[in-house]
Amino acid sequence: MAHNIPADLKYTKDHEWAKIVGDTALIGITDFAQSALGDIVFVELPEVGRTIGAHQTFGVVESIKSVSDLYSPVSGSVIESNSGLQNTPELCNAEPYGSAWMIKVKLSNTQELNSLLSASDYEKFLSTL
Amino acid sequence: MTIQKTSLHEEHLSLNAKMAPFAGFDMPLQYSSVKEEVLAVRNHAGVFDVSHMGEFLVEGADAVKFVDFIVTNDFKNAENLKAVYSPLCRDNGTVIDDLIAYKLGENRVLICVNASNIQKDWEWISSKIAGFNCTIKNQSDDYSLLALQGPEAEKIMRDLGILSAVDFPYYSILETSLESEKLIVARTGYTGEDGFEVFSSHAFAKSFWKKLLKLGVKPCGLAARDVLRLEVCYPLYGHELNDEITPLDAGLGWTVKLSKESFIGKSALVEYKARYQLVKLSLERGIPREGYEVLDANNTVIGKVTSGTMSVVTGKGIAMALIQKDKNPADKKYFINIRNTNYEANFHTKAFITGGHK
Repeated sequence: MAHNIPADLKYTKDHEWAKIVGDTALIGITDFAQSALGDIVFVELPEVGRTIGAHQTFGVVESIKSVSDLYSPVSGSVIESNSGLQNTPELCNAEPYGSAWMIKVKLSNTQELNSLLSASDYEKFLSTL
Repeated sequence: MTIQKTSLHEEHLSLNAKMAPFAGFDMPLQYSSVKEEVLAVRNHAGVFDVSHMGEFLVEGADAVKFVDFIVTNDFKNAENLKAVYSPLCRDNGTVIDDLIAYKLGENRVLICVNASNIQKDWEWISSKIAGFNCTIKNQSDDYSLLALQGPEAEKIMRDLGILSAVDFPYYSILETSLESEKLIVARTGYTGEDGFEVFSSHAFAKSFWKKLLKLGVKPCGLAARDVLRLEVCYPLYGHELNDEITPLDAGLGWTVKLSKESFIGKSALVEYKARYQLVKLSLERGIPREGYEVLDANNTVIGKVTSGTMSVVTGKGIAMALIQKDKNPADKKYFINIRNTNYEANFHTKAFITGGHK
C-alpha cells in the first residue's frame, strides 16, 4: 500500500517525521506508522519545558492492541505539546502530518539534522520492510 | 513447527487482513478497523473464523458420564441439545483449559477447546477414558468453525435457512443440514452478544463465509474478539486462567459443582482456599495492559493485570486483574501502575457492559 510521504519533511527509521522551521522542529508520526498501528486510542506527550535527546522516547502512542514508544528525531527542549490529542487521539489516524502533530522542539544541535532521512530516503526504507 | 492455516486463509489474505501467528495458526488480527469490527458485532453482525479451535467427539454409552467426570461443571444433568461451559482441571484442581461441551445426544458429546491447548487437552482427556464405555476422536482438523455474532445474527441465520427451529435459546445446539452438508449449530459465542457458532466441513465454511459477507456481515479478527470478550469479562485461557491456578481463583466458583458425586479435581477443590481474586477495573485515563502491576492505597503491589485494553463501547481503559486474596484491600481502592505512575482505578462488581445475548 502506498503511504503519504510529504516531500518537505524529514524522517526517521522509527517512523517519526520532523518539520524543520528555523531552529525549531515540529514532530509527529508518519502515515505508515498510523496505518501499521491501527485505531489510535491514547497519546501521552511530554510537558512543555522538558529536555529530550535524539532517539530518546518522548511519549507513547497506543492502539487498541499495542503500546508504542515515540522517539524524538532531534535533541532540544519541548516548547509546545499538542495536548488536544489527549481527547482526540483518532486524529493521529486521520491527519498524521496535520492536526496530529505531537510536539514542537527548540533544537539544541542542528548538526543532527544531517542524519535525518529525506522523503525519498524514507520511501526507500519503507520498501525494504 | 509449521504454521497452520484455516480453510479460509485465502479469504483473509484477499481481504487484506492483518495476519498474525496465534496458537500455531496464521490468523486474521483485523480486517478494517478494530473499532468498526467491535461496533459491528455490538450493533449489527460480525463473523469470525475460529476454525483454529479444537473439537473432540466423544461417542458411546458412557459419553455423558465421561465428560461429566472430566469437567468441574454439571454436564450430566444438562438437557439434551444444550451446551455447558466448564473448566477442565487436574487432580490438584489447577486449570488445564476451559471448554464448552455440547450434548448432541445421550451417547454423543462434542467438546470445543482452545486452539492453544488442543494437544495438552487431547493427551489429558484421552488418557482418562479407560474404563468408560465410549471413544474419543480428535476432529480438530476436520471441522471449520465460524462464529456469527451480533443482534442481527438470528435473522441472518433464518434468512439463510440454517435456522428453522422456533425455539432455539442461548446455549442450545442443533444438528441440521444445508445443501446436503451436515452442520452443528450452537447458539454460543465469545462476545456477549447473541450469536451462533457453526461447525461444518471446510467447503461449507467457505461458501457460508462468502454468503455472510455478501449480506453485509463484517469480517472480524482476533483483536476485536479480544475487546468484545473483555468488555463482558469472559476469561481467556493463558490470561485469567492458567496451569498454576484453580477455577476458584478466577471467579469461576459457579462452574465448580462440588455436589457432583465425583469428578477430576474434586477432592482438591473441596479443600481449596482461593489464593487469588479476579477483579474488574477501569481507568478514567490510560490503558491498562497485561502484566501491569496493581497496587493498594499504601503502594503495596497486590496483583497483576491479566488482560487489558481500551473499551470501544465505554471509551475507557478496562482490565481484569488477579489480586492476591490476602492482600485484597477492604476499601476496594486499586491503583494500576502505568510507566511508573499509579492511576486510581474504578472497581466494578459487574461486567463493563451488558451484552445482548438471550
